[in-house]
Amino acid sequence: MTEKWTSRLILGLTLIFLIGPFLIIIIAGLSAGQSLAFPPDGISLKWYLKVFEIESFRDSFILSMALAIFGTLIALALGVPAAYALNRYEIPYAETIKTIVAAPIIVPGIIVGLALLRYLVLPIGLTVTLALFFAHTALVLPYAVRVVSSSMTNLRSDMEEAAVLLGCTRLSAFFKVVLPNIKGGVLAAFILGFVTSFNQVPVSLFLSGPGVRTLPIDMLAYMEITYDPSVAALSALLAFLSVGIVFLAEKFLGFSRYV
Amino acid sequence: MKHLLYITTALGLMAGVAQAAEKTLTISVYSFAQDAYKKALYDPFEEKCGCKLVIETGNSVERMAKIEANAANPVIDVAVISSHDALALARKDLLAKIDSTKLTSFDKLYKAAQDPIGGNMAVGYTFYASSIVYRADLLEIDSWADLLSPEVKGRVALPNITGTQGPLTLHMLSQALGHDGIDFTDTINAIGEKSDDIVTFYVRSSQLAQLMQQEEVIAAPVGRFAWSRFSGSELDFKWATPKEGQTGGVNVMLMTKNNGNEDLAYEFMDYWLSTEVQTRIAEAKIDSPANKEVVVSDEIAESLTYGAELINSLNMISPADIIDNRDGWVDLWNEVVIK
Amino acid sequence: MFQNRKEGFALALPAALFIGILFLLPVGILLSEAFQLDGGWSLQGYIDFISKPLNQTVFLRTLKLGFLVAAVSAVIGYASAFCIVNLDPKSRGRIFGMVVLPLMISPVARTYAWIVILGRTGIVNDAIIGLGLSDTPIRILFTETAVFLGLLQLFLPLMIISLVSSMENLPRDAISAARVLGANWLQVFTKIILPLTKEGLVMGGTLVFTGSLTAYITPAILGGAKVLMLETLLYQKVSVSNDYVSASIIATILIAMCFGTNLLLKRIATARE
Repeated sequence: MTEKWTSRLILGLTLIFLIGPFLIIIIAGLSAGQSLAFPPDGISLKWYLKVFEIESFRDSFILSMALAIFGTLIALALGVPAAYALNRYEIPYAETIKTIVAAPIIVPGIIVGLALLRYLVLPIGLTVTLALFFAHTALVLPYAVRVVSSSMTNLRSDMEEAAVLLGCTRLSAFFKVVLPNIKGGVLAAFILGFVTSFNQVPVSLFLSGPGVRTLPIDMLAYMEITYDPSVAALSALLAFLSVGIVFLAEKFLGFSRYV
Repeated sequence: MKHLLYITTALGLMAGVAQAAEKTLTISVYSFAQDAYKKALYDPFEEKCGCKLVIETGNSVERMAKIEANAANPVIDVAVISSHDALALARKDLLAKIDSTKLTSFDKLYKAAQDPIGGNMAVGYTFYASSIVYRADLLEIDSWADLLSPEVKGRVALPNITGTQGPLTLHMLSQALGHDGIDFTDTINAIGEKSDDIVTFYVRSSQLAQLMQQEEVIAAPVGRFAWSRFSGSELDFKWATPKEGQTGGVNVMLMTKNNGNEDLAYEFMDYWLSTEVQTRIAEAKIDSPANKEVVVSDEIAESLTYGAELINSLNMISPADIIDNRDGWVDLWNEVVIK
Repeated sequence: MFQNRKEGFALALPAALFIGILFLLPVGILLSEAFQLDGGWSLQGYIDFISKPLNQTVFLRTLKLGFLVAAVSAVIGYASAFCIVNLDPKSRGRIFGMVVLPLMISPVARTYAWIVILGRTGIVNDAIIGLGLSDTPIRILFTETAVFLGLLQLFLPLMIISLVSSMENLPRDAISAARVLGANWLQVFTKIILPLTKEGLVMGGTLVFTGSLTAYITPAILGGAKVLMLETLLYQKVSVSNDYVSASIIATILIAMCFGTNLLLKRIATARE
C-alpha cells in the first residue's frame, strides 16, 4: 500500500513540475491587468483576443506553418526513399550515408543558422525564406528517415518480392505494397517533423529578414518590446494547437507507437 | 498576397519573380512601437509619395551587420540608429554625406541634432534623457552613486555594457564616484565588487519593466523613452533627478552610400523631421522631438524629453568617445563584472 | 535485400546530397574558419579563446549544468519511469501522454512561465516563505538555479521516455523475487534494473546532455548576461560584437562536446556486455 502511494507521490510531483508552468501560462494569459503576473490581476479574455490583432504574429504564424508543412513534406520526399534504400538494398557507403543523414540532430541549431546566413544568404543572395526552408527541411530529415525506417523494419520484404515476381515493377510494388503498410509511420514522421520545425528556435535565430520571421523568433522580438500577457496567451494557444494535433493523431493513428 | 509569396518562395518555384513594380524605399528601424509609427509616419508618407515603404526591424547590431554585409549593393536606403552606432558605420565608409540643403526642416532642428556625429553623415531625429527609475515608496535616489548603495543591495539592475544605456550609466556613475573623463576602469571595478548584489544586467527596457513590475528590481537606470512603461503602473515609480544631472543621447537617421534611391530617401527624412510629423510622433508619445518648433501640452511633455532647457542640460557622452573606448570597457567588464 | 546497388544508392543519394550540400558544407566552412588566422592554419584562436577567464567560466558552467541536468533527470527519470511501467495499461497511457505533452509546447512558452514562477513575488518564493524556510524572498531569477530548473523541465520528458521504453522488458517477477529474498531497493536497482536499462539511460542521457548544451532560450531568458552559457555567448559574439572567429570557435567546441558525449556514452552502453 505504501508503495502505491509513494508511486503516486513521485508521479504527481513530476507531473506538477512538467505541466505546472504550462498551466500558469494559460492562466497568466487570462489576466485583466497590464503585465505578466501569477496569480493574474483579474480575469479577462483581452490578451487572447489581442493575439489575433497583432499583424506580425499573423505573418510569422503563416511563415512557420508553411515552413513546417512544406519543409516536412520535402523531408519526407527525400527521407522515405532513403529509408527504403537503407532498409532494402545493399548499398555502397551505407554507413556514411546514415551518418550524413543523422548529422542535423547533433549539430547545434544556432550554428546551422549562422552558417547558412554567412555562406548562403550573405554571399550568394539566397533569400532568407529559402534558407529557413533548407534549414528546417534538413533538421526534420533525420527524424523522417529514422521513424520511417523503424516502421519499415517491421515489414517483411518478401511481400514486395512476391509482387515483383507477379509482374509489378519495383516502383509500383513500393506504392501498392510498401507505402500502405508504412502509412502510419510516415504520418508519425510528419507530425514529429511538423512539431520540431514549428517550435524550432536556435536555427531561425540568425535567419530573419524584412518581414520574414518565424513565429517563435517573432515572439522573442515581441518580448523585446513588451512583456505584456499576450505572449502568454499566444503560447497557450499554440500549445493547444500542438496538443490538439497530437491528440488527433494518437486517437486515429496510434501515433506514439512510432516515436 | 504576402502569404502567397511565402508559399511560392518556400517552394522555390518563383523566387525573385514577385518583384513589386512601384518604387520602394527600404528603411531599417528599431522594432518598438511599429503600429504607432505606421499611423503617424509610414502610412501618411506612402500616401504622399505614392511609393511603398519596406520596413526592416531588429536590434541595432543586427541591422548594422546587414548594412555592412550589403555594402556593395545596399538593401537598406535609410536607417535610424544611435549616434555612436552611426559613427561606427560612417568610419567604415558605409554612409552617404547628407546634403542639408535638401532637408527643408533642417534649420528647425536643435543645434545638437544637426550634425551629431560630424561630417554631416547623420541627422538627429530624437533626443532622450536617461536617469534612474526607482520605487519612491521604498527608497530615495539623489545620486547615481546610490545605484551601488546598501539600500538597493540585491534589488538593483544595471544596463548591460553592450547596449546603448550601458556606457551612459558608466559615464554618470564615474562622475558620481569622483572620477573624471572617460577612463571607466575604477567605475567598472567598483561595479565588479558589487556584482553579486546586482540582479541582472538587462538588455531590453521591456525586460526591466517586467522585473520592476514583479518587484524583483526597485531601481535601475533607463532611457526616458521607456518611462511610459513605468508611469502607468500602480506601483510608486519615480524618475530620479540626481545631483550629477541626467544623461542622454540622440538617435539619428542616416543614408547608406550608393543606395541609388537618394531622392526618395531625402523626401522621407525631410518628412520625418517636419514639424507636422515630429508633432504627431511626439503626441503619440513614441519619440521626443528634435525639431524645436514642435509644441506639445504639459501632459504629453511629461512622457518625453522635451524643451530646449532640458535637452541642453543633458550630460551626454560623445559618440567618438564611446566608439574609441568601448572594446576596452567590454573586456574589463567581462573580466571583473560578469566573471 | 535487393541486390541492385545502383538503384538503392540512387534512392538514398538525394537525402544525403541535400544535407551534405545545404547543411554540412556551410557548417564545415564555418568550423574551418576557427582554425584560420591571418590566412594560415592555426590554433592560435583557440589558445586566445581559452586563455580568457570569462570563456573558461562559461565553458565549465555549460559543462556543469549539462551534467547536473542529465544526472538529476536520470534520478527523477528512473523513479517516474519505474512508477509508470508498473501502472495498469490504461493509466499508463494517460500518464505517458502527460509526460510527452510538454515536448509539443514551444520552448519559448515553457521558459517564459519561469520568469513569473521564480520571481521574488512568485509562487516558489511564496512557498519558501510560507514554509518558514526563509524570512525574505530568495533571488532565483538570473542564477544558475533558474537555468538549471528551466533546462530540467525542458528535457526531463526525453529521459523519462527513453527509460520507460527500456523498462518495458524488465522482468517484474525477478524484482519482486529479489525483494522477497531481502534485497533492498538500492541492490535491486544496481543489480537488476540498471544493467537492463543501461541503453535507455545512455540514450536519454545523450539527449538531455546535448539538449542542455545547445539550448538557447532558457539561458537567454532565465540566465541573462550574468549566467552566460556557450550558446548565449555565441549569440552575443555574433550579434553584439560581430566577432565571427570567436563564434566559430565556440561552435567547434559545442559540436565536439556533442559528438564526444555521443561517442563516449555509446561506448559505455556497449561495453561489458
